[in-house]
Amino acid sequence: MTAQPPRTAHVIHSDAEAIAVAHKLAARFAIEASVRDRDRRLPVAELDEFSASGLWGITVPKAYGGAGVSYVTVAEVIKIISAADSSLGQIPQNHLGVLDILLQTATEEQKRYYFGKVLQGYRFGNAFSESKSKHAGAFETRIRFDQDTAQIDGEKFYCTGALFAHIVPAVAVNEQNQAFIAFIERDTPGLTVIDSWDGFGQRTTASGGVTLNAVKVPLSAVIPAHKAFDEPTADGPISQIIQAAVDTGIAVGALEETKRYAREARPWIDSGQDHGWQDPFSIAAIGDLEWRVHGTEAILKKAGLAIDAALLTPNEDTVAHASVVVAQAKVLSAEIALLASSKLFELAGTRSVLGKYNLDRHWRNARTHTLHDPARWKYHLIGNYLLNGVKPARHAWN
Amino acid sequence: MNALTQPIVAGQPLAKSQHDLHNARSLLDATLRFVRQQKHVAQDPYVISRFGDLHICIEVAAALLERAEDFFNSHQDDTEISVAIAESHLASADALNAISNAEFELTGQRTVLPGSLQDPLRWKLHLIGNFRLNGIHPPSVRSAV
Repeated sequence: MTAQPPRTAHVIHSDAEAIAVAHKLAARFAIEASVRDRDRRLPVAELDEFSASGLWGITVPKAYGGAGVSYVTVAEVIKIISAADSSLGQIPQNHLGVLDILLQTATEEQKRYYFGKVLQGYRFGNAFSESKSKHAGAFETRIRFDQDTAQIDGEKFYCTGALFAHIVPAVAVNEQNQAFIAFIERDTPGLTVIDSWDGFGQRTTASGGVTLNAVKVPLSAVIPAHKAFDEPTADGPISQIIQAAVDTGIAVGALEETKRYAREARPWIDSGQDHGWQDPFSIAAIGDLEWRVHGTEAILKKAGLAIDAALLTPNEDTVAHASVVVAQAKVLSAEIALLASSKLFELAGTRSVLGKYNLDRHWRNARTHTLHDPARWKYHLIGNYLLNGVKPARHAWN
Repeated sequence: MNALTQPIVAGQPLAKSQHDLHNARSLLDATLRFVRQQKHVAQDPYVISRFGDLHICIEVAAALLERAEDFFNSHQDDTEISVAIAESHLASADALNAISNAEFELTGQRTVLPGSLQDPLRWKLHLIGNFRLNGIHPPSVRSAV
């Protein structure tokens, strides 16, 4: 018997409804975001409200009872939530990625079962990454198949969402090094979630560890995830656009704070002005942040459209194009999140670093979350496609 | 006078953006052609990532131009239109400047482009910032043209 959501989720039926619900939730999440960060108070009640709102089910296709929204909408929703609290914006990241892998690689029966659960309000966490393997895409966690069960053994890290999940999807490889995902119910013997995340940013994501010790699941709970990358699918870009949306949200939130505090800044002695907001250099610096934020938002939208096109017509070209546009959003969002959250202090002045304001959380969140995958290799990916026609490698980080 | 130095059609608030973006794309294509002729340069990871950066600048300029056109053609209020146009001008000029520098660095040539002392970008930043920070409305683009 698996852990169950405390209440049945509302089912969202359209893109417009998803955006409206996100705005309503974000306004509430914003109120205590700073306190949660300062005290590292995990957002348990907020997450129940988040998944009960139906936002965790918006990508379930219409054929399975969901809204099947555009990825423009998915990115907008994550951006809106992240502008209020980027930890809350990041937590559904892997849940949404897993929904697409289900769509791409699961049997019809599995799709009906798991999509149904998600529409009821079940949350997927993740036990994907490993901190001790050679690189981000290498896995040492093993899956062994018996006649009607599979056994999983290994150790995971960066398991965002696992602590709050009802079902923990875990990546494990077989003897041929092919990756599978096992859907492990949260209270299955052998599955341990460790709340060990003490990073200086994204503090309330509980992105700690998971150990898998002779965990047994029925074969019906295993999907051949490797197929989502053997063949061209939009799964990599989907995973990435959510990262870019979180960072865009951080930038939007930081810019709003910048303006709020810059309005109250003292005038600089040499400016000859009566108020800080009259400072011509501060004014121009706000102008610079504004166009860069809007440029990032515009590219994020284009990335969503490119993903929609790749989902509709999956082939090497549409998937490569989606990867390239999402990479642009990733680079831009990482840069503007860091820039806006740093300019905040420059324009608001020394008093803005006082501990009571906790404004450093924006920069701490930006710096931490943008490390997920390095922007420097996204410039290379985009340039190699443009200059040499080389299509991006297909994996969960492109 | 050639396609890259022709004067901007007066009275079209987005002509400057369109013009700069067009020039940026032309310079990028010429630079790409030049670099592709030298196989070892085209495989240099720093040159490759440099083109990634230039491509992003151009895509942002194109996206903000599209956004400003949408604002202009819809029933947005005049201030939002003026600000969106100013943002588009900045993005296009930024893209043109970036690609022009890269053209010089990678090909040793520099295409001569007109400056913008008459309608300077630094005051676009001021226009945007003064509205977003202080709520001061810029002159209407409809009456200005």
